[in-house]
Amino acid sequence: MSGHDFHPLVKQLLDGDITLADLPAELRAEGAEALRLLAAVDRTDVSMPAVTWRTMAKLERRRRRFLPWLLAPALAIAAALVIWLRPATPPSSAPLVTVRFVLVAPDARQVSLAGTFNQWDAQATPLVRIGATGVWTATLTLPVGQHQYAFVVDAVRWVPDPGAPAVDDGFGRRNSVLTL
Amino acid sequence: MIALLALPLTLLSMQQGGGIAQRLAGRVSPEIASLVEELGTAASARGLPIDPLIQKAIEGSAKGVPPARVATALRLIAMQLDTAAAALREGGLVSDTLAIAAGEFAITAGLSGSDITALARTGAKAAALTVGLRVAGTLAALGVPPAEDIGLVSVTLRSGEPASSLLLLPAHVQSEMARGVTPAQAAAGLARAAAAQARHGPPPGRGTPPPHPPAPPHP
Repeated sequence: MSGHDFHPLVKQLLDGDITLADLPAELRAEGAEALRLLAAVDRTDVSMPAVTWRTMAKLERRRRRFLPWLLAPALAIAAALVIWLRPATPPSSAPLVTVRFVLVAPDARQVSLAGTFNQWDAQATPLVRIGATGVWTATLTLPVGQHQYAFVVDAVRWVPDPGAPAVDDGFGRRNSVLTL
Repeated sequence: MIALLALPLTLLSMQQGGGIAQRLAGRVSPEIASLVEELGTAASARGLPIDPLIQKAIEGSAKGVPPARVATALRLIAMQLDTAAAALREGGLVSDTLAIAAGEFAITAGLSGSDITALARTGAKAAALTVGLRVAGTLAALGVPPAEDIGLVSVTLRSGEPASSLLLLPAHVQSEMARGVTPAQAAAGLARAAAAQARHGPPPGRGTPPPHPPAPPHP
């Protein structure tokens, strides 16, 4: 702090623990010099508003610089959680319509219905034969919208509904169309 | 920072891919599942629906179609989804996945992008337009030519009739066809009737009466 390296007894003098008279004679000059220096110190209050303002501004800038880095991960994690935890497909709330499917297939041993409404599962929706007439029927409750389907005869033959409009299925066959 | 902000998008893409994989698990071959995931993720990023792709993959597998042919069908659907979306945008409708899927169906049934744009330009709201596109596709599947098809669905959409009226059109055309009328004649006849009804109001007992004409100004 200063170029002076006072004797420990002189430091006690500066601390007010002893008086100049208590010092040995060889240290009195050094003690007097130390007291003179101490008396020369300006004891008026020091105010450094500019320094304070600059320091605070610097801290604020640093805070602003780091705030996005603190907030961004939190926001990113929150958004990721929302995306991750939400249901992949919202539950369907479409109104339902009851539909009766009919196929005349006197020679068939079994007939089922496969389409967009049952993930094209040929075993999911069997039709029931009505007596010996060769008429096969099934009644389903389907959501309003558009459905494509076909009858599956004897588990191997995909047959479009002769009573419904049909479109190319992209594989060389036809799908029946039901618009509810 | 950018990497952090991209995290949700990455997760969304992963979830989309995971959702597709989950729906296809055990139903299609791994190569078709991988193709659907690729096409589906790209379609989803463009705001297109992915359900038609998933359904077609499952359908192809259920029907025992060779994977190469399923892949061709899937790529065609992806293109048709793009065409339908572009046609709807040109008609003034932006980003409605149900309408886009309905437009894709209409294209499969034989209609074109310009037919879809024509229906979008009727100014119908997205929900009504979606039904209109499905019905237009169904009419095309019945053999109604595009001009008569779009004419009939457009006039019905513009009339502001409820969706149930649109949904009855295929049955009306079919019953006319059962009487020996061609699909084109049936649709044209129904369009004329709908246009006349729009001009003169609904038949007695149906709908709300037209408002009274304004009283003549006092002399």
